[in-house]
Amino acid sequence: MARKRRKSAPPACETAMTASSKPTISALPAALLSALLPGLGQFSARQRYRGVSIFIGFLILTMMTLWYADPRWYFSPVLVWLWNIWDAARQARSQKNGFLLPVLVGLIAAYGIGWQVLQIDFSTADMNRATHILRPMLRPDFIQERRETNEMWVEIFVPCGTDVPTARHEMDGKVAIATPDCAAVLETVIVNVSGMWPNAETEILWETPIGNARMLGGNEDAMLVQNTDENGSLTVLIHVPSLALAGAPDPTLSLGHRVYFNQHRPIGGYELSFVGGEVLKGALVTIAMALMATLFAIILAIPISFLAARNLMSGNPVTMAVYVVVRTLLNILRSIEALIIAFIFVKIVGLGPFAGMLALAFHSVAALAKLYSEVIEGIDPGPIEAIRATGANWVQVVRYGVIPQIVPPFTAFTIYRWDINVRSATIVGFVGGGGIGFLLIELIRISDMRGVSAVFITIAVIVIALDYFSAKVRERLV
Amino acid sequence: MLRIQNLSKTYPSGTQALKNVSFDVQDGEFMVVIGLSGSGKSTLLRCINRLIDPTEGKILWDDVDITAAPPAELRQIRRKIGMVFQQFNLVKRSSVMTNVLSGRLGYANPWMSLIGLWSADEKKRAIDALDRVGIADKAGERADALSGGQQQRVGVARALMQEPKLILADEPVASLDPVLSHSILQYLEQLNKEGITVICSLHFLDLVHRYATRVVALKDGVIVFEGSAQEIDRAKFKEIYGEEAQEVRAASL
Ligand SMILES: Nc1ncnc2c1ncn2[C@@H]1O[C@H](COP(=O)(O)OP(=O)(O)OP(=O)(O)O)[C@@H](O)[C@H]1O
Ligand SMILES: [Mg+2]
Repeated sequence: MARKRRKSAPPACETAMTASSKPTISALPAALLSALLPGLGQFSARQRYRGVSIFIGFLILTMMTLWYADPRWYFSPVLVWLWNIWDAARQARSQKNGFLLPVLVGLIAAYGIGWQVLQIDFSTADMNRATHILRPMLRPDFIQERRETNEMWVEIFVPCGTDVPTARHEMDGKVAIATPDCAAVLETVIVNVSGMWPNAETEILWETPIGNARMLGGNEDAMLVQNTDENGSLTVLIHVPSLALAGAPDPTLSLGHRVYFNQHRPIGGYELSFVGGEVLKGALVTIAMALMATLFAIILAIPISFLAARNLMSGNPVTMAVYVVVRTLLNILRSIEALIIAFIFVKIVGLGPFAGMLALAFHSVAALAKLYSEVIEGIDPGPIEAIRATGANWVQVVRYGVIPQIVPPFTAFTIYRWDINVRSATIVGFVGGGGIGFLLIELIRISDMRGVSAVFITIAVIVIALDYFSAKVRERLV
Repeated sequence: MLRIQNLSKTYPSGTQALKNVSFDVQDGEFMVVIGLSGSGKSTLLRCINRLIDPTEGKILWDDVDITAAPPAELRQIRRKIGMVFQQFNLVKRSSVMTNVLSGRLGYANPWMSLIGLWSADEKKRAIDALDRVGIADKAGERADALSGGQQQRVGVARALMQEPKLILADEPVASLDPVLSHSILQYLEQLNKEGITVICSLHFLDLVHRYATRVVALKDGVIVFEGSAQEIDRAKFKEIYGEEAQEVRAASL
């Protein structure tokens, strides 16, 4: 803010003015005036710009410190006020004076207040937490060993109600039992499973009636893993997860939750992991979403671009008015981020790639129409004239004189837009627009950092590949 | 014979570019139009094939009134009038071949031409035209990959495709160096000798002397001189180009 003052009245300019106009006021009254109202003394000493700038700068600085209301910063306007009195006296005596002090004070205040407002606190960056988050990211969840799964479950009712069935489940020679048969949230349950593969790691997982998986290890944030004994049996004590009833329509209703026991063993070779599959699917959706949005945008943008081309529309006042209106609308539309439009479309058509596509299309129409119209404005009239001169008819003139001039740049801009749309599509996914962005947000929510890193890598690969491809195509066309 | 009768052109902006211009061009002439920049040379040439519609006056070509021709007839007339431009006016992104072929649009089957299909005969014609101007080997290149002189030859080849009876050349060599200028004008001279009437605007008097069979000079849209190049003496020169321009022009002679 203090910098602003400097811009509007650079010191070099001041000295020049001092030399040309003699002050009409002596030092003491000038100082007094500036003490009363910062800048007034300078103003009276014929330093109009300086006076006004000092006044505005002082006002901004004062308002800033008062708004932040931290007494530690009150010194800054006071310092500037004092400097201003001294400066008024100097100006009245036609002495040169720089702007260094108030600018410095203003900058320090702005910097300090900014620091506090942003709550910059490097001590929150905990190394352990960072490691905990980042280490899994070194092993992106794309492929996994091919393996077979041995699955078993038992049903427990939460909370307890009347007529709760026995928590016992038999299947393929396996038996799983829970005691007691029902429990409330956070209560302890003993589960026992037998007939599983012996001496094998077994994942123990909770699944709510609405299909949400809850982890049972650590603070419910890690997979509970136990080994079976040599007979394939396992007994473990679990707590009903605190979130077992989260999202349940009626938490008082006693419903069957399942405790799953999963064993895996490799059968050789590798396969796409579940998350890896989802990432690829998401990537395809995102690319398709961007492609469809671009196609829709082209269809609308081409006719609009003709209305937004000055050289075509400047013929008469009516078309000129259309041009101005269309241009203004395009500029407004273009300035709204696709992300924000996506919020609105998610409200209108619901979550999913369709909302994302509409948002991207909307934004792209404006962006493409502007680019297209600039291409049209840049058409060289010479070749068109030359083709008319050969006796060609109207359609032939368009085909041989206009199209060759606009199609390559149109194509180049369109591919460039598609490129941008793929990037935006991932972001638009964050707010529910579907595709890989939506998947990313979900993975972050469940802290699946290996999945997150798979998404990061996929996005990077797509963006780099598309970037390269679009640059190559544009190089050829332009 | 081309008869230009009382031709006037006033642009919508109010500029009166041509004022009551009348002259005749006999078949087979190499008529050169000279005059200062802004004197109306381009306007005059563009009126002849009606790239610009004149405000008043008539242009009769073999007793057909070009100025009154309806669109279809106008296209028939235009295809017999080749045009060469100072800025070449090639479609830069298209190939040399396509640029030359586009000179044939007035003859081609409209539907075939729209999908870019050209008969073998037309393609052969295009290669022949390029051959005449000595750049048949450049047929496949993009027009903007050629040098200025080569581009203007493509311009001439395009005009040739029209089998023109008249060629309008609007400062065809103003963007070229003197050597290239002569080579382009020699092509036009050659065509002229084969019976094609040429109307050409030029800036440099040495070129005028060398190629013109007759000269028309414009000044502020009015004809101030009509005759042979040899008749342009110092006094006439001053009249055409004005007092101040004299030394500059004289130096370039
Ligand atoms: N499209 C137009 N709209 C309005 N005025 C024009 C237009 N084209 C030309 N003029 C004006 O008409 C007058 C004659 O222009 P013209 O281009 O015919 O001159 P010229 O002799 O060809 O000049 P040059 O040697 O610079 O090409 C000039 O005053 C010019 O400003
Ligand atoms: Mg001209």
